[in-house]
Amino acid sequence: MVRKSKIPVYLWRRLSQLLFFALFLFLFIKTDYSGSDELEYAVNILFRIDPLLALAAIFAGKTMVALMLPALITLVFTFVSGRSFCGWICPMGTLVDGAAAVIRPPQGTAGNDLRAVKYYLLVFILVAAFLGLPLAGYLDPFSLLVRAFSFALYPAFDFAVSSFFGFTYLHAPDWVNAALEPVYEFLKNSILPFTHRVYGLSLFSLLLFAMVLVLNHWQRRFFCRNLCPLGGLLALVSRFSLLAAHGGNEDCGKCRKCRTICRMGAIDEERRISTADCNLCLDCLALCPRNRIHLSFHRPPLTAGSCGMSRRAFVGTVATGALLPLFLQGRPFTRRPDPQLIRPPGALPEEEFLGRCVRCGECMKVCIGNALHPAFLEAGIEGMFTPMLRSRIGYCEYNCTLCGQVCPSGAIKKLTLPDKHAQVIGRAFFDKNLCLPYAKGIPCIVCEEHCPTPDKAIKFREQQVINARGETVTVLQPFVVDELCVGCGICENKCPLPGRAAVRVTSEGEARQAGGGHFL
Amino acid sequence: MDRRQFIKDVFLWSAGASLAIPQFRIIPSALAAEKPQPLLSVAKGADYAALVSRVLAPLGGMGQFVKPGDKVVIKPNMGWDRKPEQAANTNPLVVMALANLALQAGAGKVMIFDRSCNEPRRCYANSGIQDALAGLDDRRLKMDHMDSRKFVPVQISRGKSLTSWEIYKDALDADCYINVPVAKHHGLSRLTLGLKNSMGVIGGNRGDMHHDLGQKLADLATVIRPKLTVIDATRILLRNGPQGGDLKDVKQLDTLIASADPVAADAYATTLFDLQPADIDSTVAAYKMGLGEMDLARIKVLTA
Repeated sequence: MVRKSKIPVYLWRRLSQLLFFALFLFLFIKTDYSGSDELEYAVNILFRIDPLLALAAIFAGKTMVALMLPALITLVFTFVSGRSFCGWICPMGTLVDGAAAVIRPPQGTAGNDLRAVKYYLLVFILVAAFLGLPLAGYLDPFSLLVRAFSFALYPAFDFAVSSFFGFTYLHAPDWVNAALEPVYEFLKNSILPFTHRVYGLSLFSLLLFAMVLVLNHWQRRFFCRNLCPLGGLLALVSRFSLLAAHGGNEDCGKCRKCRTICRMGAIDEERRISTADCNLCLDCLALCPRNRIHLSFHRPPLTAGSCGMSRRAFVGTVATGALLPLFLQGRPFTRRPDPQLIRPPGALPEEEFLGRCVRCGECMKVCIGNALHPAFLEAGIEGMFTPMLRSRIGYCEYNCTLCGQVCPSGAIKKLTLPDKHAQVIGRAFFDKNLCLPYAKGIPCIVCEEHCPTPDKAIKFREQQVINARGETVTVLQPFVVDELCVGCGICENKCPLPGRAAVRVTSEGEARQAGGGHFL
Repeated sequence: MDRRQFIKDVFLWSAGASLAIPQFRIIPSALAAEKPQPLLSVAKGADYAALVSRVLAPLGGMGQFVKPGDKVVIKPNMGWDRKPEQAANTNPLVVMALANLALQAGAGKVMIFDRSCNEPRRCYANSGIQDALAGLDDRRLKMDHMDSRKFVPVQISRGKSLTSWEIYKDALDADCYINVPVAKHHGLSRLTLGLKNSMGVIGGNRGDMHHDLGQKLADLATVIRPKLTVIDATRILLRNGPQGGDLKDVKQLDTLIASADPVAADAYATTLFDLQPADIDSTVAAYKMGLGEMDLARIKVLTA
């Protein structure tokens, strides 16, 4: 009987990692308009199987979030097979492993002094979420990952490719272009974004992501071992997991190869393997000189204190998570929100929205007008990376409902087209000191041309004015009909002035705020 | 008078005579000879595919404009994320029929594009034109999105208000450029017709065009020269143009207008809205620059 298959078992793990990473990339690229109003794929599935984000959203909203039920699958899966999710599936884990191949972390960093940090973070995040301070999206591995991809890596990749083909198009001889242009065509139709994208906080998102990878320098899978709050949650479950790796014993003599190579620092001096830390990468199984290590559904006894949390620190963490939200109310914008903070159509009322939003960046990735950008401090420090409309950069396309379709937590409701058309996200106003027909007697009304409501919210009056040369001229002067304006921002976006737009949108009158009527 | 002075004088006088006088006498007759009465064809009917053939027939059919092997550009208006029945974009059936005729006439390549105002993919899809052309299933047919690399700076030497602008290379290079606007209301220019439709092949900040729009469109018409203009008035948008959205603003006319004279086509189309050619600034400006005829009495209208 053949005891072992010819293929080392860790190759299966690598294959799994590659496949899930490819799936992640596929869904990432498919997070885009595809020619029909409805998306074809559940592109947000990664976030909906994330139990950390699900718990945080549920705690914050104190309500069940049906969209995130798939997270139960991950929990059950973890209960059965431990943290294999971290080792075999998580695309962030795969990249951390990939980075380790380049960074070459020190061998034998078995000490797991910091491993408790992730539990503290987890407890802090959940307690704070329950009491009104939503932070899960900051450190959730998928949120970190997708933000970096959406805001920084994908645009940079696009820039590199387009620059190359832009250069060859202009400067290369025809026979070169005859070969290259079809390649560019193919890339444009398959993996490149349709238009060049820009995003706020792109470098910051990249930095956070890069730090996750660079931490490998001190310890292999540093982030996964010590910081990842999702890893912490899964670790708590996998302490009781059915499937577990069993290590060697005293008969191994001086050999501690397993302990040296373990990427998670899951193996202690006695070669016991902690199920809370082991991500079942199975390197030790393959490399154990005596084939002592094996997997079985027979769970080893819980090692005492394997969480590594002290009671004192735990209580301190809970207290911090409970007290910190009290300080949030003392900020000026609780009295008067930033008028530039325009939320996507279908967004829940602000407090609920902040609680539910998992900062995954999906809405900003999919936004067809490149209109949604991550907030910086407009919604407070805890509101960083939540979506806001920046009309001068991009406008909200009138017939598009994609952001509500990709939101994994329902922070942005999925709207039907008639509901979207009726959704007021803000309102435009004119700056007559800038607007050409008012300020200079020059004809324009580009805003009126683009205003998308069937009964235009921007109308105009014919007016005689004296222009800069002292001539009396007749111009059409635009104005906003508040009741018709939905705040899409196309007027601000298309305003032909080179600098500041003469028509601008603020969150005034947004539908989601109670009593958000217009000024009378 | 010495000999030298004599020769000088002869030169000067003869130069003056040879330059000034003959011009004064010859040009009016030459102009009259070069400018025959422009033909314009109008057809009405509910079968739009047949209607396209009918409206072109009096002008000599598509073969008059498209020669075998030609690079043809068909430029519809598909600037807006609107459905065909909302009349903001050119009727997809009209575009399809034109493309089909161009292919039958032996075109080597037929390109269809527009620099849209709303998101391009949504405009191409929801205008119905993308699907309609896919139905033709011909490899010579290309409906690509605009490629930002292909906007080239063009000197507009005859321009009065516009002296240079970026224009799409494919539009300039075409052997036969067919302009297929939809006739509709527009806040600033009152109507958008053929000349205004040319804004779909230019780059840059198009909002800047709105200052002195009529003259700028005429200037543009000196470099963007359609061989054929077909104005889609199968249904027209009467209010809330150029993008509409309310079917109450749409009027069905089942009409097509075709002419090789872009100004004449625009001039005639104004009458569908109970306006006069003189009401449209771009028509007047283009007429004044000699780019075509706007006097309805001098246009030969053939009802097909």
